[in-house]
Amino acid sequence: MDFTLTDEQQLLVDTLRTVLANECPPSLLREHHDCRGAHAPLWEHLRGFAELGRGDATDACLVFDELGYAAAPGPFFASVGLFAGLLEAIDADSALRDAVAAGEVVGTVAAADSQGIWHANDDLVKTFIPDADLAQLIAVVSATDDAMFVTILPHPGPSALAEIETVDPSRKYFRWDTGDEIGAAIPCTPMQWRAFLDRSFALASAETLGAARRCFSMALEYAKEREQFDRPIGSFQAIQHKLAEMSLLVERATAALHYAAMAIDADHADRTSACHVAKAAAGVAARRCLKDSIQIHGGIGYTWEHDLHLFLRRATVAETQFGTTSWHHDRLADVLFA
Amino acid sequence: MKLDWSETDERFRGELLAFLEAKTPPEATRVDFPGNASGGDAIPAWLRAWQATLFDHGWMIPGYPPELGGRNCTPTQTMIYLEEFARRRIPRATHFPGYAIVAPSLLEFGNEQQRSLAPAAIRGDTVWCVGMSEPNAGSDLASLRTRAVRDGDVFVVNGQKVWTSYAMVAQQCFCYVRTDPDAPKHKGISLLIIDMDTPGIEVRPLTHITGHADFAEVFFTDVKVPVANLVGELNGGWALTQGSLAHERAGLWVDGVARLEQTVRDLVDLAKLVGRHDDSGVRRAIASMFEQASSLRSLGYKGFASYAQGSSAPEHSYMKMASSEAGKAAFELGMELLGPFGAATGAGSPTTLGDDTGRWVTSFYVSFANTIAGGSSEIQRNIIAQRVLGLPRA
Repeated sequence: MDFTLTDEQQLLVDTLRTVLANECPPSLLREHHDCRGAHAPLWEHLRGFAELGRGDATDACLVFDELGYAAAPGPFFASVGLFAGLLEAIDADSALRDAVAAGEVVGTVAAADSQGIWHANDDLVKTFIPDADLAQLIAVVSATDDAMFVTILPHPGPSALAEIETVDPSRKYFRWDTGDEIGAAIPCTPMQWRAFLDRSFALASAETLGAARRCFSMALEYAKEREQFDRPIGSFQAIQHKLAEMSLLVERATAALHYAAMAIDADHADRTSACHVAKAAAGVAARRCLKDSIQIHGGIGYTWEHDLHLFLRRATVAETQFGTTSWHHDRLADVLFA
Repeated sequence: MKLDWSETDERFRGELLAFLEAKTPPEATRVDFPGNASGGDAIPAWLRAWQATLFDHGWMIPGYPPELGGRNCTPTQTMIYLEEFARRRIPRATHFPGYAIVAPSLLEFGNEQQRSLAPAAIRGDTVWCVGMSEPNAGSDLASLRTRAVRDGDVFVVNGQKVWTSYAMVAQQCFCYVRTDPDAPKHKGISLLIIDMDTPGIEVRPLTHITGHADFAEVFFTDVKVPVANLVGELNGGWALTQGSLAHERAGLWVDGVARLEQTVRDLVDLAKLVGRHDDSGVRRAIASMFEQASSLRSLGYKGFASYAQGSSAPEHSYMKMASSEAGKAAFELGMELLGPFGAATGAGSPTTLGDDTGRWVTSFYVSFANTIAGGSSEIQRNIIAQRVLGLPRA
């Protein structure tokens, strides 16, 4: 049992932080609001990390935490997080897996049902397909009463997909009425589906947590700088206790995430439960941090001009995706009351 | 990062479990979960014998060498040890001040003669109490007023301590006193070892809201303490208060989390008993408790290594605050599930509720102590804000 980062993991985190600090400043996020192509130079850097899509969950979680912290736009989450994870889970064609791992092919996953729930379903309407407009391939997951399938299709063209607009322009989500278009399919066993879901929930937790951590650290920094009544507002106990509670939630969710990632890599018996815990804990941290980071910033945090909202948006949407906090609590309750 | 335990660690666990299988006294498994923040007014004979057995077999403080009741095990193994005890709900001892606070402080700060008192403190042969809080020095411990004035070969001690666990049965007191009233408050405190038989000491049990007398007030009137009983530097006692509080906090999380996990299981049973197991609000509330308990366990693991290697980990302030607050909320949820019988104590309640009547409200009351004792939640938040997050003091 070891929660410390290896030297290689620390190097990975440090390298990525440098890339993101240089290539993904708040100005890029603002530019991306108006120009969807603005993420392209960033992707040129991030595709070098695409191999992580088929690597250890521990490494991948560290990376997605940093990407959430930067609210990085682009197809990395859809392709390296979801698409690669699904291809690995179902042991798909190795040439395709290699191309995705090299960042040469970009894909996304259509699995959530028409209500936005990530579970096995036979819905012909799939929702919340992340960044489908940036993908060449879409993996559609479908289910019958007793079997599941994955169909990998070329992007059907912009008119086939409708955007589900959210408050966060750094990532787009789409809805696709697949109709009868689904053809030949690769079978997906319940165990493979579970492996894909667990990993996806863990990576989504990492992104959610990263966004929460960003809101928290901006509030902490502001509390040290901003002076009222001739002293930093961070010297007031009311502010200190808010930040202490926020940091507790961030630390607790971080530990839960690292545990879940290790449980995935070890194929531990409570892997699934640990991933539900991780996403719920990240969701709780995100909600608290986004609300209190605004509160601590006061009026300035409520303005478009201030950068806080760029990250607050990512935190808000991330909590709702890949299972809301309540949804994951319900899944845990199913286990507890079984 | 990795999850599995090494072969050596699994072998360690095997040895521990074999020992527990062979030696655990039957009474130990019938104790309602041990580890309350306060101490009892009596120490059962079987528990004293059990603590001595643990010491003699190197299972009392496994990270210490054999002469101190251990086996020089690694930090990770210490955690395995604490977890196995908590999982089986087996107590190590009830009187924690001696092994958890006094012995580590004596070993770190005491002279040779004082260090020699540590083994008996750990084995439980000597019962210790710790004189810290006073009526006007609670969270603001540094404002303590119990005075010690040098008079030849002795200090003459006058003052009052309060919330002193085990004072009724203790032979020795690890007592913080003011030796320089003119110095800034943190710089005029010293630590004395006071024999509880010394004339001038009066102990009055202090009954708390549950009706039990788990603590005492201790009054000192012209108590003469040999100068040789000074631990560490004269006026250097504040550093030692920091040490003992760190020891106290560091060991609490495993029990605290295990208790929380047990409470979650009990809440599931209670929800079924009162027919609320299909209520989605109830299910979510209990699942949220489970989420907190599980993630706190992970946070505890994350912080443990740094503590066990001798440095204090910030995780422990988080653990203390979060597990005690979550415990309080969990017991409150149990009361909620009992509806109008939530605050009933037994007589006249439906027999179908069985042992659950009264149990939740009592635990709820007991849990108040956990967010106050050993550094209140508010103090923990101050510590996190100032020492971990680097926010300026007011």
